[in-house]
Amino acid sequence: MSEIKVNNLTHTFSKGTPEALTVLEDINLSFPSGSFTSIVGTSGCGKSTLLKMMAGLFDPTDGEMTLDGAVIRGTDRKRGMVFQQDAVFPWMTVAKNISYGPRIHGASKAEQQAAETKWIEAVGLKGFEDRWPRELSGGMRKRVDIGRVYANDPDVLLMDEPFGALDAQTKERLQSDLLETWRQTQKTVIFVTHDLEEAIFLSDQIVVMSARPGRIRHIEEVALPRPRSNEMRLTSEFLDIKRKLWNMLDH
Amino acid sequence: MERIQKILRGRFVLGALSIAVVLAAYQWITMQPDNNPALLPPIPNIIASFFTNIEAGSLQTTLGASLYRIFLGFFIGTTLAVIIGCLVGWYKTIEYLVDPLIEAIRPIPPLAYIPIIIIWFGIEEFSRVLLITIACFMVCVVNVIAGMKNVPQVYVDAASTMGASRFQVFRTVAVPAATPFIITGYRIALAAAWTTLVAAELIAAPSGLGYMLQEGRRYFLTDQVMMIIVIIGACAFIMDRTFRAIQKRLMVWSEARE
Repeated sequence: MSEIKVNNLTHTFSKGTPEALTVLEDINLSFPSGSFTSIVGTSGCGKSTLLKMMAGLFDPTDGEMTLDGAVIRGTDRKRGMVFQQDAVFPWMTVAKNISYGPRIHGASKAEQQAAETKWIEAVGLKGFEDRWPRELSGGMRKRVDIGRVYANDPDVLLMDEPFGALDAQTKERLQSDLLETWRQTQKTVIFVTHDLEEAIFLSDQIVVMSARPGRIRHIEEVALPRPRSNEMRLTSEFLDIKRKLWNMLDH
Repeated sequence: MERIQKILRGRFVLGALSIAVVLAAYQWITMQPDNNPALLPPIPNIIASFFTNIEAGSLQTTLGASLYRIFLGFFIGTTLAVIIGCLVGWYKTIEYLVDPLIEAIRPIPPLAYIPIIIIWFGIEEFSRVLLITIACFMVCVVNVIAGMKNVPQVYVDAASTMGASRFQVFRTVAVPAATPFIITGYRIALAAAWTTLVAAELIAAPSGLGYMLQEGRRYFLTDQVMMIIVIIGACAFIMDRTFRAIQKRLMVWSEARE
């Protein structure tokens, strides 16, 4: 069980602005255990802010979030996060990056090694164990980021436009691989993106947000069958959803 | 690979060439009929002074005394700088407490402390080491603080969301991320150590390279003065190169190339 709930959440930025700016207003959401949910919306709708609050990087002005009933306060290994920016530690090899979580939580050498072997294989980085991050491409570094979070065994994965900076082909590969990992682990994933196709391809449920202040406009249940294949991106069902959601976004 | 070797060789050759040209020009000037060797000693005289002082054993003792001061002052100063700099750069409370103090003291050149140190502690070994310690600390600590403040937020957030405590983030993320700055701090401190050492020994020392310079001036031994200048240059150069090698070793992960 690992269900996240957002109850009556409102967030206001008051620092550095003459008038308080409401970025999120009256948000109520539920992310069922094991589901894959995307949050989409144009920039400024507060989707990243919402995700960072779920990670515990800062607290909402009003309202609360819970993970399995317990109020979220501060960061915790239960809620892992993958960032848009490159967060791979450049001073550690690929393997050491992967086993970072287990290491700081006191895992034995053998356990760390096991985590390295398992997750390097799972994210497709076999043979790159001893490389420095600077020797990897952007897509491979993203794989390290994802593998590192999985190796830390969180209950929930929060992903903040993780593939935003990658080229189209790399992006599609990583999306398919992410779905495969998600299928095997059945962890709750909350995925923020502004890319509708990405959201539809990945998700069970898509939360569409409107901007200024950030509100929930619509929640779309994606009925496309799983496992999803790249060919599905061009089917009429897929494109129908895309058209419907596209019309809801502020352009 | 071959190309790199080629460039390096070219670089080395050109560097050696420029030094050789300057030396040759110097020697040519000293060979002019109206040159006064007491003011501009020819290169052979400078070399001769080197061997005379080696034979007498005075150069070894001098060098030993100076290097001892440098190492001790450098070691204590930079160690304190790393410890205090890390704490100041990472913990807000400590920063608010200590940073204004560092900022207030920082613009004062360490040599300005010479009189007060002599008044308090006399012309002792302790005074000279203390001065070098202060100089090394001040230049190094500023770099360490800057390094800690420049740790990319995304690394800190990544570690925190994996459940790392504030101290774990400090130890496993902030310190390694700040290493490039810290090493730069060490290198600047080493240069400061040499500057301060020579100045301190010129003013107040019964031994050391600065003392030998002063002695050379007093007895008009220009070749000795020149010889010591070359020795100081060579020592500082060797130490800086050693540091660069260590830096390269520690920073294999870094994208930065020389």
